[in-house]
Amino acid sequence: MTSIHLDNIVKKFGDFTAIQTMNLEVRDGEFLALLGPSGCGKSTTMNIIAGMETPTHGTVKFGERDITHVPMQKRGVGFVFQNYAIFTHMSVYENLAYGLRMNGTPKAELDRKVQEIAEFLELTAILHRPSAGLSVNILQRLAIGRSAILEPSIFLLDEPLSNVDAAFRAVMRQELKQLQRNFKQTMVYVTHDQLEAMTMADRIAVMDHGVLQQVGTPIDVYNNPRNLFVAQFLGSPGMNLLPGALADRGGDMFVDLELGGSIALKGSDAQAGRAAKSRDVVCGFRPEAVQFDDAGVSLSVTFVERIGARTIVHMGKGAASVKAVFDNKVAVNVGDQTRIAPQDNAIRLFAAQSGESLQVA
Amino acid sequence: MTHSSPQTSNAAKDAPKSRLGLWLTLPAQLLILFVAVFPLLMQLYLSFSDWTPLAGRSWTRAHELWIGFWNYSDLFADPRFWGALWRTMIVIGIAVPVEFLLGLGLATLFMQDFRGKKVLYSTLLVPMMIVPAVAGYMFFLLFQSDGPINGLLSALTGLDVSIRWLTDPDLAIFAVMIADIWQWTPLMFLILLAGLLGVPREQLTAATLLGASPWQRFRTIVLPKIKVIIVIALAIRVIEVFKIFDTLFIMTAGGPGTATETISVFFYKIMTLELAWSYVAAAGLVILIALSILAVAAMYFLPKSKEAGK
Repeated sequence: MTSIHLDNIVKKFGDFTAIQTMNLEVRDGEFLALLGPSGCGKSTTMNIIAGMETPTHGTVKFGERDITHVPMQKRGVGFVFQNYAIFTHMSVYENLAYGLRMNGTPKAELDRKVQEIAEFLELTAILHRPSAGLSVNILQRLAIGRSAILEPSIFLLDEPLSNVDAAFRAVMRQELKQLQRNFKQTMVYVTHDQLEAMTMADRIAVMDHGVLQQVGTPIDVYNNPRNLFVAQFLGSPGMNLLPGALADRGGDMFVDLELGGSIALKGSDAQAGRAAKSRDVVCGFRPEAVQFDDAGVSLSVTFVERIGARTIVHMGKGAASVKAVFDNKVAVNVGDQTRIAPQDNAIRLFAAQSGESLQVA
Repeated sequence: MTHSSPQTSNAAKDAPKSRLGLWLTLPAQLLILFVAVFPLLMQLYLSFSDWTPLAGRSWTRAHELWIGFWNYSDLFADPRFWGALWRTMIVIGIAVPVEFLLGLGLATLFMQDFRGKKVLYSTLLVPMMIVPAVAGYMFFLLFQSDGPINGLLSALTGLDVSIRWLTDPDLAIFAVMIADIWQWTPLMFLILLAGLLGVPREQLTAATLLGASPWQRFRTIVLPKIKVIIVIALAIRVIEVFKIFDTLFIMTAGGPGTATETISVFFYKIMTLELAWSYVAAAGLVILIALSILAVAAMYFLPKSKEAGK
């Protein structure tokens, strides 16, 4: 097992900066998800770890060892491609044996290891089939097995589930997580699917525009987004973000919302409000943390999505909109006037100018 | 028939359909008959006779000069034929592999990025587009005893080099092969480049990550994926070597003596100088059969099912 350290990594492609000064540590045996929208630099980050790209600045270390300029065939990382990149002209056996064959492993040992990994990944029955035309879940296991047979201490996975249809993804997620538990490697998993990141990862690293936005456990990142991007990107639907101004009325802190009405701040929220440098803030709260409150903000219902167990209620006033998630028993209709407020301890304050969280961690 | 099973009704439906197919393909079939089958039969017919243009009768009456398999037995006993075949084999055995290796090397080079790639690419393709007769004249002049090639060799070695490229019976075949390599390496390069471009990059990267060296990647990934293309490229060139004519004829006219007389030049000379047309018809058929066997052998290397070579 090995930890991965990215120190001050910068990657430029001509004038385009793919990664801006990134520092990230992936711990020993950890499953880290690199999460972000397309073009955020997550794949580039992974390619730098794998050695397919050389960083413009900065160093990459595996444990204590600086491997920034070590060529990719000598890094010994396992890599699973988005399309698996199975050698289609070879059989399942030959695919699994490839790495061992390249490093000149004696035939008896090679055969034993292939049998072993095939057993483990339940590929024994199809070991001598051609690898072209196999189903995706077999291809995925084969791609993992092909790398795992070399017992790499680091495993990198590049959106391995993006070609899989939705119904099958849940199965594959479970399978992947199970495999990681068994192999106990340090895993970096690139995805744009927050559900994958949330369900599988020990920690999530959220990226946007080449900048690492936040690193933390899935729950921590979800509950305490460090800035507006993370708040909006995570969650489905994302966090409600309402601009407003801080107001101190006789020692009690409020946010006077632009759309009218105000929200009271309590406890640590009030403290954070008092410590804020600027009065202009964005008040955030999760759709799940919305409750009906006669003293709350007045909005009209614009759209109701009933999706089985949950009901997503869209509310708005002018350009501002709020989404709320209730169970399926909620009785609201389009056009209703409602008053809502965030639940206690659900408010997250962000500085309007920088977008950074005002909460003291 | 009042009672009919589903099978017979299907057959009844299919019969007129297949007859329609026959009618629709008839024009094409007639065309093939005239383009391919008719000349072949004509050649076969002539090869059993002693007919020449001086025989005083139309070729359609060649059966009056019927000699059975005489042309064939003559041919197999003709040292000039075997000599021509041997020289053709030398070109196949030396020039084609050189063209292949050069083409493969260049194609591999063009998979990397380097400065001046586009200019070099267009320059490389020029020889292939030059009319072979013109190329023949070019090399005829280049290979003169006092020509530029000897001039260059003199300048490089500091000696007075005057190699008789085209008039020395041992060297002339090499001069011809050099011209052939110059002209046809670009074709090999183009075909193999297309093959290399079709090798999935991700699989190469995957192989690299699994620890494969460049040579291992070439042997285990690239070669199996372009195997079919290599077979096709080699087959095209081998067949073309049997047809080498214009460049060679202008450079040496098959000489000195018969030192560069390959199969096509042999045919041409027998036809124009000895007017033994029926003899050439027999020889042509033998070569055709030999090439067909070769083509079938090449098919052996092609993938047997769809999954290979993806």
